[in-house]
Amino acid sequence: MAIFGLWVINKAGGLVYQRNFADGLVQLTSNEYLVLAGTLHGIHAITSRLSPTGTSSGAQVIEAETFKMTILLSPTGTKFVLLTSLAETSASTVLQKVYEAYADAVMKNPFHTPEMPIRSEGFDTRIAALIGTGHT
Amino acid sequence: MTIYCLYVFDRHCNCVYYHDWHRTKRPKRANDGGGLLPGVSHALSPLPSSSAAGSAPGTPFSSPRNTLASNSGVLVAFNDGSQSPSGVPTSSATPPPPVQAQGGAGGAASGAGLPFDEEAKLVYGVILSLRNMVKRLSGRDESFVSYRTSTYKLHLFETVSGYRLVMLSDPNAESLRFVMRSIYTGPFLEYVVRNPLVPMDSRVRGVDNEYLRASIDRLVRGLSVFQ
Repeated sequence: MAIFGLWVINKAGGLVYQRNFADGLVQLTSNEYLVLAGTLHGIHAITSRLSPTGTSSGAQVIEAETFKMTILLSPTGTKFVLLTSLAETSASTVLQKVYEAYADAVMKNPFHTPEMPIRSEGFDTRIAALIGTGHT
Repeated sequence: MTIYCLYVFDRHCNCVYYHDWHRTKRPKRANDGGGLLPGVSHALSPLPSSSAAGSAPGTPFSSPRNTLASNSGVLVAFNDGSQSPSGVPTSSATPPPPVQAQGGAGGAASGAGLPFDEEAKLVYGVILSLRNMVKRLSGRDESFVSYRTSTYKLHLFETVSGYRLVMLSDPNAESLRFVMRSIYTGPFLEYVVRNPLVPMDSRVRGVDNEYLRASIDRLVRGLSVFQ
C-alpha cells in the first residue's frame, strides 16, 4: 500500500505536474518524465483503437510486476496518472480527489495559464494533505 | 467473461500467429504488401491476387509442389483451411468463420476496424512502449503485465526466447499469464518448436498450422474464463 507518484498530463501530452511520494521507483530526471508522459499519451490514444468490441476508453489501469499506473481522463483531455503499489485499492478515489483539487486550486487560479506547468502553492498543499508530503 | 484473441510475436517484431474467438469487431484482411507474413492466420492473410497466385515466396497453400497437405495424417505443416487431416479431432476445433472479403480490396467486413497488419503493428508498438516505460520507471528488469480499458484487458507473456504472447480478454478477467504459459509449454512447444516443418525464426512466414490451431482452440475453450 504505497503511492509512488502523481503526474498530470495536459491534453497535448505535455507533463504539467509531477511529484514523487513514497520510495519504490527510481528517481528520473524531469526530462525523462516528460518523455514518459508523452509516450503514455500516445499509448493511451492507441489502446482505445485496439478494442476487439465496439468503442473503448483508453487504458485505465496499467499493471507491471510491482506497481501499477491508474489513469483518470477528464472530459477536457487532461490525464491524471497515479503510480501506486499493486495492492493499493483506493487509487481511483484518490485520483478523483486530485481532480477536485485541480479544479479548485489550479483552474480557478487567475494566475494559471492553461496547458502550462502547474506552479500553485495551493495545489501543492491540497495534494500534500491528500497523499502526504513528497520528497521533491 | 470471455477471451477475444491471441497474438504471438517473435523477437523480430513479426506477428507469427493470430487466433480470435469472440470478436464482434474483427479486423479486416491484411493489406497486400502490408508486411504481414504468410502463415499467420488463414482468415486474415491478404487474398492472393489472381495472376500472382503462388508467386509469393513459400506459400504452400497454392504451391504446385505442395506435398505437405496430403491426407495421410502424418504431419501437415501449414493451415490450409480446407483440409482436415485425419487423426486430428476437429470436432471441437471450429475454425473462425472466414471473413467474407468481397473484391480484392478486402471489402469492409461488417464494420471492422483496422486492417489486420496495421492492428498487429499497433499491438506490438503498445506492448513495446509499455515494456520500456515500466523498465525506466522501476529501474529493474521488470516486465509489463497487463492493462485494462473499459471494454477489454490486454495481457502479455514473454518467453526467454523472445516470443511474446498477447491475449485480449474481458476487462474483469484475472491474470491470464498461466493460460499463455500453458499455451507456450503445450501446443506451441509441441507443434511449433518440435515440428520440423515449421521454420522458426524465419522472418518470412508465420507458425500457423492445423494442429497448433486446433490444440490452442481446445485449450482456450476449456478455460473457465471462456464462455
